[in-house]
Amino acid sequence: MNVSQLADQLRRDHMFMKDVTRWEVIPARPARTLPFPASMDARLAPVLEKRGIHALYTHQAHSMEATARGEDVTVVTPTASGKTMCYNLPVLSAILKDPDSRALYLFPTKALSADQVSELYDMIEEMGVDIKTYTYDGDTPAAARKAVRQAGHIVVTNPDMLHSGILPHHTKWVKLFENLKYIVIDEIHTYRGVFGSNLANVLRRLLRLCEFYGSHPQFILCSATIANPKELAETLIGRPVTLVDDNGAPMGERHFVFYNPPVINRQLGIRKGAIPVTRSISGMLLKNGIQAITFARSRLTVEVLTRYLKDMVRDPLGNAGRVRGYRGGYLPGERREIERGLRAGQVDAVVSTNALELGIDIGALDACVMCGYPGTIASAWQQAGRAGRRQGTSIVFFIASSAAIDQYIVNHPDYFLHQSPENALLNPDNLYILLSHFKCAAFELPFEDGDGFGNAPAPEELLGYLSDEGILHHVEGRYHWSAEDFPASEISLRSAAAENFIIIDITDPAHHRVIGEMDRFTAPMLLHENAIYMHEGRQFQVEKLDFDACKAFIRSVDVGYYTDADLNINLSLLDIEKEEPFAKTAKAALGEIKVTALVTMFKKIRFDTHETLGFGHVRLPETDMHTTAMWWTLPPEVAAKIPSDRLKNGMLGIANLLRIVCPLYLMCAPQDIAVVYQVKSPITDQPTIILYDNCPGGIGLSQKAFGMRELLLEKAMQVAEDCPCEYGCPSCVGPVGEVGEDGKRTAIRLLRELTK
Amino acid sequence: MNLRDKLRAVGGTGNAQKRPAETAGDCQHLAVYRPMEEFPGALSLRAETLRMMSDQELPDDLDPRRILYLDTETTGLGGSGTVAFLVGMGFLTDQGFEVHQFLMRDYPEEPYLLRHVAAGMGRFDVLCTFNGTTFDVPLLESRFLMNRMDRECLDLPHLDLLHMCRRLWKLRLGRCNLGRLEEVILGKPRVDDLPGSEVPQRYFTYLKTKQISLLDDILRHNAQDIATLCVLLNHMADLYLHPEQITFGEDVYSMGRALERLHRTESARRCYRLARKSRVGDLAGSALAVSYRRTGEREQAAEIWRGMIRERRGGVTPYVELAKHEEHYRKNIPEALRLTELAISLLNEPSLRQGETVQQTKNELQYRYHRLRRKLKETENHGNYVGVQGQQGHETAAGREDG
Repeated sequence: MNVSQLADQLRRDHMFMKDVTRWEVIPARPARTLPFPASMDARLAPVLEKRGIHALYTHQAHSMEATARGEDVTVVTPTASGKTMCYNLPVLSAILKDPDSRALYLFPTKALSADQVSELYDMIEEMGVDIKTYTYDGDTPAAARKAVRQAGHIVVTNPDMLHSGILPHHTKWVKLFENLKYIVIDEIHTYRGVFGSNLANVLRRLLRLCEFYGSHPQFILCSATIANPKELAETLIGRPVTLVDDNGAPMGERHFVFYNPPVINRQLGIRKGAIPVTRSISGMLLKNGIQAITFARSRLTVEVLTRYLKDMVRDPLGNAGRVRGYRGGYLPGERREIERGLRAGQVDAVVSTNALELGIDIGALDACVMCGYPGTIASAWQQAGRAGRRQGTSIVFFIASSAAIDQYIVNHPDYFLHQSPENALLNPDNLYILLSHFKCAAFELPFEDGDGFGNAPAPEELLGYLSDEGILHHVEGRYHWSAEDFPASEISLRSAAAENFIIIDITDPAHHRVIGEMDRFTAPMLLHENAIYMHEGRQFQVEKLDFDACKAFIRSVDVGYYTDADLNINLSLLDIEKEEPFAKTAKAALGEIKVTALVTMFKKIRFDTHETLGFGHVRLPETDMHTTAMWWTLPPEVAAKIPSDRLKNGMLGIANLLRIVCPLYLMCAPQDIAVVYQVKSPITDQPTIILYDNCPGGIGLSQKAFGMRELLLEKAMQVAEDCPCEYGCPSCVGPVGEVGEDGKRTAIRLLRELTK
Repeated sequence: MNLRDKLRAVGGTGNAQKRPAETAGDCQHLAVYRPMEEFPGALSLRAETLRMMSDQELPDDLDPRRILYLDTETTGLGGSGTVAFLVGMGFLTDQGFEVHQFLMRDYPEEPYLLRHVAAGMGRFDVLCTFNGTTFDVPLLESRFLMNRMDRECLDLPHLDLLHMCRRLWKLRLGRCNLGRLEEVILGKPRVDDLPGSEVPQRYFTYLKTKQISLLDDILRHNAQDIATLCVLLNHMADLYLHPEQITFGEDVYSMGRALERLHRTESARRCYRLARKSRVGDLAGSALAVSYRRTGEREQAAEIWRGMIRERRGGVTPYVELAKHEEHYRKNIPEALRLTELAISLLNEPSLRQGETVQQTKNELQYRYHRLRRKLKETENHGNYVGVQGQQGHETAAGREDG
């Protein structure tokens, strides 16, 4: 059965359709094109024509023209709209014109760079010209590095390598820096939060060195659809950009199905789980031979679903290679193999985390199943875009979980279909991040009195501080690096923590092998001792977690359960920046806090029934994070009138409401912020609800929330009041079992007081 | 909190210090003179001897007084923020050995220091360092570039003693750092020496306090390193001229390998022969045989393999090599098969540790064994068939199989 037939059949199936809240058909769209622009080198036309390209899509032509005018350009288009042409054509034209020209390509991951380079190779080979394109990353052999540095016209790398491998050794890259004409950064929507704030500073360093070498490179940036591509690009590079977003690429017909699993316990408002529903929809696609990708929110769900689907197609020998799991933590070789399998059609079903959201080339798939809302509109569209890249009908299923945001989306499909996607926020001036890169910059090239660092604030303060600390040595107007450390090695661009944990399978005592890795913040949750760690649907038990050495030792097991850890969070105040009264006697404040996270216990949960089988203790050190926060303090006289257990339930209700509302109005991913409540807060000594940026130093979300501190409470109240449930449900204040019978009432009462 | 306080909270410690600024018109220049007796034979070093040791292009009329021995002391392990604050340059004169040291008393003196280095290097034909190809020269290159100065003075033929020493002594010593070489090879352990790893911190402390005496240890250490370079080079040259003086078989064998690398086949074989009686006799024997095979002297090679088999030396290697010889060169398939079988049975001896390499060798041998069996069969069948046509057809068939 093909996709159209399947869609027709489902639409006639009343049992299925009664839980569908919306079946949206997005009609096919024809191509809009323009002739090859004058700025394109004539030698490129035959190569394009050979590929059946006789004109450019409008966005390709417009971005080339803007680049030719000398502007920095940001191109925003969906998956598979031929955006690589937007940078390959101007770069190749420039090098064809002047063979001394150099270009630097930055991709967020190695896998992406490998894909893009092979396309570039093909074009260069067909032209038969001497343009050398090299990938420079951790996998580049030492012997080849010299050639890359000397002769590479186009150097393809990632921000991490630029940061630690290229910039601190810039004197070895004279040819590149002296002749750098274009800096291409693809997938800039991934550079939000910590990663983006780091990249912005890496680019400040890069531009500073270009100035030293006398080059003035132009930027060509590409982004998937987000709300603020221009703002993001300008914050990243610190200069104005020209936005090109008139997508001229064609698109096939797409069906978008919103599915809300049926309620199975009306009293408690409990719905059938998203996982079993996904299991049957993905299973149906698999049985019908429709190549599909299933997205799950957590690594754990990916593993559980992979196992279910594998069980459906296992041959007598137990092999189920047609179904693969895919997520961060798999080793690169394994991932490449899965990607190849998808392109070649040997893999029919892949279950993935958002790791496959990015433009990794896995070819065109027919269907996409989202098990739960990925958290942001941008990322939901990215995931949906995996189905139907070519012309032809494709189908996307969104399966709502009982999480409030999922319920909001599935019940308000219009919000999803018409709301502009989220903002990508970053804060290059986050003091932690700025200071780290400032050190790197000082190492790379001494600062002189009066020097700036991009548009970073108060460079003289930073210089003074680092001199006081003895890290810089100020003499005759210059600040010289005078410490033994190599500052770039102290920063990891992708998280605040430097090192990753490696996961070692010790099942075979003679052959210990590394099967994956995990970042320092996630490790306590998933790799604590006795955790069941899942990899490609296989179960392992963590035998030992060596926290200091960052190693987890696991052994293959076969048990009927998985584990889920509980995280305990403690907050303490570092500094209050602003405080404002509101609603007569309530207060809102903005400041800095320390968040201490500790995993203390875990649950064992049975497969299939998902019932809790038991508990276990976890003994691991705490992890600390300094970040920005804002908080609402309840008026003492209001709080005094409510019994403390009722107050607690009401505050929990408000916190839950804010968790739903804030991501929508701050336009961020739910995991970017955290909302907690404290009946007697150590910060204010009063009942307080705290919202903080969920990354070290913060990226500006708390500031933004502080600016809408009253609006957020109003919107929270509106959600609670509009919700038809009586005592609370997962879509508003939380289920009755969690907030108690008076939770919803108390929450609304408190919110009324606060929004007076 | 003001920004400075915040920075302290973010950055950790608050150990602020103030230092007096310093101005300079030149960097500090020091000189150390060592008597000729410490460098025996150094003035008679010839280019042809060095050519046995290095593939650098050296002038024919090389004057040992025009070799520059150079070593730097730096503020770190590399990257463009690392600075060479002390550059020592040593050379032979008719009277002895002179070391000239250029010290940057503070960062503004770096351009002066670099100018001295550039001018100094211009007066020499050959550069000699220890690990200079990967460390000192790229570092100086980087410093010249950062100060927008010409780096061409660095383009001298370069004798990097680290690599030359490794080739000679790594097999016996394992690690080949300068301290260990002084102790074991030259028999002069250093006393009261400042460990290299403490150099950067010592310099930073000096920068803060400006107590120049803090640098005495570094200056002494640097001068000693440079003198050692000259002694070491001449000691090695002596060994290359007289390998029979070398006490350790490992070293003679290693020298053979080093010579062979530079295509000095005859000298290399001389070393291998000398080393055959030693602890590494098997290695030397194999190397000698491989050397013969490489120049097409297959019978000599085979003779060595046969000798090793007779003396039960060298493990399976001689069997394997001889089997190749019989198969491909002598076309004696049954003999090749017999040798392969012997090799396999040798590998199956229970005393042998069954590691991965053994397994790999086993697999290769099995593969060879089956190929030989197949060949033998084909040759037999073919032989019967071509028997009618005569000898010539048989040879053609064998030749084709070999290809």
